[in-house]
Amino acid sequence: MSSRTGVFSSSVGTKIVIGLTGMALVLYLVVHIAGNALVFFGPTVFNQYSHLLLSNPLVPLIEIGLVIIFALHLYKTVRMFIANQQARPVAYVRKKYAGAPSRKTVASSTMIVSGLWLLMFVVIHVTQFKYGAEYEVDGVRDLYRLEMENFANPLLVGFYVVSMLVVGSHLWHGIASAFQSIGADHPRWTPRLLAASKILAVAIAAGFVVIAVWAYVHQAGRVRP
Amino acid sequence: MRLHLKIWRQAGPDAAGRLVDYVADRISPDMSFLEMLDVVNEALIRNGEDAIAFDSDCREGICGMCSLVVNGVPHGPDRGTTVCQLHMRRFKDGDTITVEPWRAKAFPVMKDLVVDRSAFDRIIAAGGYISVNVGGAPDGNAIPVPKEIADVAMDSAACIGCGACVAACKNASAHLFMSAKISQLALLPQGRAERYRRVLSMIDQADAEGFGSCSNEGECEAVCPKEIPISNIARMTREYVKALWAAGR
Repeated sequence: MSSRTGVFSSSVGTKIVIGLTGMALVLYLVVHIAGNALVFFGPTVFNQYSHLLLSNPLVPLIEIGLVIIFALHLYKTVRMFIANQQARPVAYVRKKYAGAPSRKTVASSTMIVSGLWLLMFVVIHVTQFKYGAEYEVDGVRDLYRLEMENFANPLLVGFYVVSMLVVGSHLWHGIASAFQSIGADHPRWTPRLLAASKILAVAIAAGFVVIAVWAYVHQAGRVRP
Repeated sequence: MRLHLKIWRQAGPDAAGRLVDYVADRISPDMSFLEMLDVVNEALIRNGEDAIAFDSDCREGICGMCSLVVNGVPHGPDRGTTVCQLHMRRFKDGDTITVEPWRAKAFPVMKDLVVDRSAFDRIIAAGGYISVNVGGAPDGNAIPVPKEIADVAMDSAACIGCGACVAACKNASAHLFMSAKISQLALLPQGRAERYRRVLSMIDQADAEGFGSCSNEGECEAVCPKEIPISNIARMTREYVKALWAAGR
């Protein structure tokens, strides 16, 4: 039986892994945006919150877990994408969306593109923040200042806004799709889930966009020496 | 009606194919799509040319033989029908219609619009059956099956194995087909005994045939002539998890 291919290498097992890791990453994004929203309460609150995280011995463990989940999601999706391309060696001359009840959208058709964009974004983002300038204020890391400095650059704000639209697009298909991938389906709840996941996708994308733009509009130039 | 056709012609499995232009003249709007192709073929045969090869059998939407991608959609523009149930009145005089075969690595083109779908047979042979002798027809209600479950099982059993789901899927995945065949048996008492062995074997076979995985877009459901929903695919995933659990892996 499936010992030949391995439980999580089968076409169904692959979906389960991608779905579960995707859900974990969405959960992380929700926590992330909730933390980021504290920036509206000013530098003291924001830096206290970030210090709480940085001084928590569990956080490095969670970070390692996140990296593994991210890497697994990436590895499985890229491998699946390549295998899926091989499943149709000769393309259609003419191919059209079939229309309702299909859930196919531009977002669902570009998951690999949006996903790889986010890989690039995450590398840049982590370099700029986690491994960015180490300012200190009152004995804690001044991430507020770092954020304001980073978002004083309009080009960078533009890059972040585009990247957050890409996040929104990825989640527009990804959240509900993750539930279907792990076999969660219900005649009454699935339509609601489809709607709710789109709302969450927009909320996450919009939230991050608002924070970046707010930081630019309110702080640009002020913190620059 | 006068129609401009662009039809995929391919001499054999290893030959290169291409779209060839034809004109279908004096077509009645009441003809079915396949009857229109018959008319084109009769003219080709009269002129001593090679007729366009395409599959068909019952021509009433129940056998699963016909398999044409019409203007980029498997079985054409109508919902819940096979291409043999598509009528020319659906088109306008002077329209250009592109006709291609199902395209998937696991469905190699044999000739023109005919593909080899025996990969589906091998998936069924891997476990899509009940191997116990269930005897004659049981007395009514001897095996109680709740109405709602019987309905869902019957809806899944409506699959005619035409392969439109594979043709529509961007990944050429057979998940809708497999999940319908797995569901119709897993939902009913007679199919329960072998449910775990079945789901593992059928998924293995489909992967070995070179079908892709599933991206949950649901193009398959939209083109399925029997309107089989992708909730079956979610059920197949649950069956898979239960099977792994039962096998202790």
